[in-house]
Amino acid sequence: MKVAVITRSGKEFFKGGLELNDSATVADLQEAIYKRTKKYHPSRQRLTIPLQPGSKEKPTVLQSKKCLKEYSDGNTDKLTVVFKDLGTQVSYRTLFFWEYLGPLVIYPIFYYFPVYHFFGYRGERVIHPVQTYALYYWCFHYFKRIMETFFVHHFSHATSPLSNVFRNCAYYWTFGAYIAYYANHPLYTPVSDLQMKVGFGFGVVCQVANFYCHLLLRNLRSPNGSGGYQIPRGFLFNVVTCANYTTEIYQWLGFNIATQTVSGYIFMVVAASIMTNWALAKHRRLKRLFDGKEGRPKYPRRWVILPPFL
Amino acid sequence: MAGALSVLKRIYLTIYNWTIFFGWFQVLYLALKTLKESGHEHVYDAIEKPLLYAQSAAVLEILHGLVGLVRSPITATLPQISSRLYVVWGILWSFPETQSHILVSSLVISWSITEIIRYSFFGTKEALGSAPSWLLWFRYSTFLLLYPTGITSELGLIYTALPYMKESEKYCIRMPNTWNFSFVYSYAAILVLGIYVPGSPHLYSYMLGQRKKALSKSKRE
Repeated sequence: MKVAVITRSGKEFFKGGLELNDSATVADLQEAIYKRTKKYHPSRQRLTIPLQPGSKEKPTVLQSKKCLKEYSDGNTDKLTVVFKDLGTQVSYRTLFFWEYLGPLVIYPIFYYFPVYHFFGYRGERVIHPVQTYALYYWCFHYFKRIMETFFVHHFSHATSPLSNVFRNCAYYWTFGAYIAYYANHPLYTPVSDLQMKVGFGFGVVCQVANFYCHLLLRNLRSPNGSGGYQIPRGFLFNVVTCANYTTEIYQWLGFNIATQTVSGYIFMVVAASIMTNWALAKHRRLKRLFDGKEGRPKYPRRWVILPPFL
Repeated sequence: MAGALSVLKRIYLTIYNWTIFFGWFQVLYLALKTLKESGHEHVYDAIEKPLLYAQSAAVLEILHGLVGLVRSPITATLPQISSRLYVVWGILWSFPETQSHILVSSLVISWSITEIIRYSFFGTKEALGSAPSWLLWFRYSTFLLLYPTGITSELGLIYTALPYMKESEKYCIRMPNTWNFSFVYSYAAILVLGIYVPGSPHLYSYMLGQRKKALSKSKRE
């Protein structure tokens, strides 16, 4: 089968196209493009079927496991694909590791080292019990996230653009420092003992629930980044589409009830809004995929992310 | 019904644009008059009222964008209006020591000329259906000079206000408090100055792009 590779402006990406087996898969095509161009690793390639000019539809993206024949529309000896470079990619595991490492390291620095001397606070620092528990809670949280990244999550895509490393690290590391600064401050004012216990207790319960959600999500997918979507079922997923985000938000609420910093609450609100955007997209996607037609199951009525609001 | 609504919209926007136009015209007139008669130290006192009114009214434009009354995306208008309100209320009005500075004159002259052209452009467009090509040219050309002069004035005034921010502790929240929060207005001001560094070239090149689009479109028509 002859495959012509063109750019989005219609030009030939490289002369002569490629010659592949009739039974070749998209993954084979990606390998061939990589061999030919030497620069574009398969994870950077976005291959689509060319659209009719003026068509308002979204282009069909070629999926790596499928056979090229499935896209050639009956014409088995020639196929044209449109190439887009997604830029340098890193694996999701790399991205998440660096994002989460920042908070894990930065927070203890504010706790253990005389950082506040540089802000003009001389003299001895009294450390309240809640501040010590907050340190353990925070570090456990990010340690858990790193462990889940390597041992639990099955990712929908194998990679993410390199620019996301800088953007995401800026987000996590800056907020980490912003919260750590106030939570470990020499002039920190603790809440009541009861409030602290309620906060941390609730937070721990939510973290455990969150972990269980991650286990359930993992079992919906195969391990090698081939994606695919299933209707999540079991535990809180029967009620909320993105129960994993729900438990994550409530876990931060627990932390904030116990530590009571404005910076912690700001972080929680920002994180919740980011997750809400993701949740709406996921909920919509699942409803679209599982429309009840042609033998497909119908996506059940569920909250999106935060009952009773959304 | 739809026809009546669109007529109502046009009437409202025509009145809005020309009212604000008049406000900024007052600012320019009084600024130039005071500059000539009394000197730059007195310019702020002369223009304070129309400036506060005309600039604050611009929050309505955010509303207009949100409800779809106008096409401008709020991602473009929100930063613009926020920075204006910050300089007017957060710097000039809050720290009277800055009001006699010569940069106040360059600031309000840059702003008022820009706004007079902008509001008369929109006011004419809403009232008559289109604006004359010379007005279009002014709207997309005067920024070439007035944005740099305006931005320089803004930066300079924020910078001169810093010592007064530190000394007065105005708008500051200090530790300890039950919400474990602090806010130091002068640090926030320095952050704002920092945002100007990437923000100004971005805004300027956005306007250059808009200029190209608008002036080539009118050539073709």
